[in-house]
Amino acid sequence: MKSFLSSHWVKLLLIVVGAIAVVLVTKYDDQLYRQPIFEIQQVQTKSTTKITDDFNNPDTQTKQVLTGIVTNGKYRGKQLQINNTYSHSHGMDIKYRAGQKVFLNYHVHPKFHATIKNLKRDTVVVFLGYLVIVLLLVLLKRSGLLTLISIVINSILFIGAIQLNRLTNGGPVIVIFSILAVVFCVITLGLVLGFNRQTWITLCAALGGTICALLLSWLVFIITKEKGVYYESMEFVTQLPKPLLATEILIGVLGAVMDEATDIVASLFALKQENPQITTKQIFDSGRKIGSSIMGPLINVLFFVFMGETLPMTLLFLKNGNSWGYSFSMNMSLGMISSLISAIGIVMTVLLASLFTSLWLKGQTKWEP
Amino acid sequence: MGTITTLGIILLILMLLVDGNKIIGSYLSLIINFGILFFSVVLMALGFPPLVVTIVASVVVLAITIFWSNASDRSSNVAFKASLIVLFLLIILIIIVEKWALVGGFGIEESEELEGLSILVGTNFTKIAISTVILSALGAISEAAIAISSGLDEIIDYDDNLPAQRILINGQIIGQQIIGTAVNTLFFGFFGSSLALFIWFSDLHYSLGQIINDKLFVAQLISILIAIIGVILIIPVTTYVMYINYKKTK
Repeated sequence: MKSFLSSHWVKLLLIVVGAIAVVLVTKYDDQLYRQPIFEIQQVQTKSTTKITDDFNNPDTQTKQVLTGIVTNGKYRGKQLQINNTYSHSHGMDIKYRAGQKVFLNYHVHPKFHATIKNLKRDTVVVFLGYLVIVLLLVLLKRSGLLTLISIVINSILFIGAIQLNRLTNGGPVIVIFSILAVVFCVITLGLVLGFNRQTWITLCAALGGTICALLLSWLVFIITKEKGVYYESMEFVTQLPKPLLATEILIGVLGAVMDEATDIVASLFALKQENPQITTKQIFDSGRKIGSSIMGPLINVLFFVFMGETLPMTLLFLKNGNSWGYSFSMNMSLGMISSLISAIGIVMTVLLASLFTSLWLKGQTKWEP
Repeated sequence: MGTITTLGIILLILMLLVDGNKIIGSYLSLIINFGILFFSVVLMALGFPPLVVTIVASVVVLAITIFWSNASDRSSNVAFKASLIVLFLLIILIIIVEKWALVGGFGIEESEELEGLSILVGTNFTKIAISTVILSALGAISEAAIAISSGLDEIIDYDDNLPAQRILINGQIIGQQIIGTAVNTLFFGFFGSSLALFIWFSDLHYSLGQIINDKLFVAQLISILIAIIGVILIIPVTTYVMYINYKKTK
């Protein structure tokens, strides 16, 4: 009992030490950056003015003077004073506090001075990442580790595909990411299930469901002449918006369809093993039944992921005196379309997983009478 | 007919094909969840406190998603209680992280969209960022909670004399089975939805240092990591709530 306790204490101690280490390392990693970094040591708050915009939204603007030193690069150790203005709403500005670090832009005209470019946020990123890793490993042990490995592999593939997309100037974005999607599925399912017949059926169902959904919605886009699809509302567009949207949906829905196809196919295989006499129709019906209880929550997961990030901009549109309808169309409609197409993919996958498994398992009874 | 309506009708038809009786709940919950989300934004725009609106909306969304999910009474009750506990824990974590990272509002990359819009609208966008992260995680939390509680419920139904201790062990086992796919669902969902942003970073030759400190990137990363933490935490919490519940009824 004593050694059990002490081993737990050692683990806890290691975790805390690790947390302190990652925070300290990123707090003092300024030398790794080429951009100049400035540590704020003192903040003086100056005047606050009340302002009102064209839509009668009241806000305030406050001036502050930040004193501190440059911590890296050519001007390391130099004392600077920087002016900053922040608003109550913090839409694109920040109220700085002493102790924070920021990236600077230097200007030499008319005389040497600096302006703030961005807040240094690497510490919080690394801390949160560390927290996820610790929770996965402590609470879920081996399967937590496998999950981590699959995240790392998928991230590397993803970064590779984005690089490839840049090198080819974004022309065949859908081709690159379709290939990536297949690779993603093979690796992820292989890690979870190993490479056997069950994996291939799951793979076919997941990819088939996604492809069906994309083709079906492509048809819908043609028939409805894309009424209510506002490509101009897409953000960060550096290439043709339509293939980009299709690619976003393709990648977005992939995890969900793999998840449910795995569940359905595995349950049906187990069912067949328990009742070898079961008919094709019964297998198909059981698959639909299992699917019907999984798909609702899964559709919701993606719905909130796709819609959540549209909130700030929708709010800004409403605050700028736009109607509900216009604010929805310009910000939420593409998220809604993405959610619906992925929902269709999720439902198609239920049907395909049930169909493929029932057909294949039936074929097996012929081979093994 | 608009594209959204047509896609919605196709979805309904396909869902009816899967299971005519049970699916109406799922379909309705999708529509109502959208209504709640949109109504929350409108309330925030009208000046209601964003955090209060978000918490009320979250509780309603969790209730609808969980109680209309075709799960049994006991597993729905347990899943709902567990989700509320995890929601509470996450809110504390999110508030700390958002005050630290200050990723509320809009990024430089959005300047084009912001042209002609007034940004000084008096709403605190740090609080809106907190709401966004909470709402984005709701679907994943409820899905995992239902998976764990209905798994445990089946085990309890199967064996009347199940020792309470077995629930804790089985919860851990089910958790280990679902964590990989649950994290994958979130991972791909977030990567898909921010694909355009990542391509932007790559096309405009952002350095690693720029990306890891970029407001929009950090905001997205916080969203996915918080959602993953929610899914990890829901496993022991749901198991424990089921354990207490089982001990009480016995």
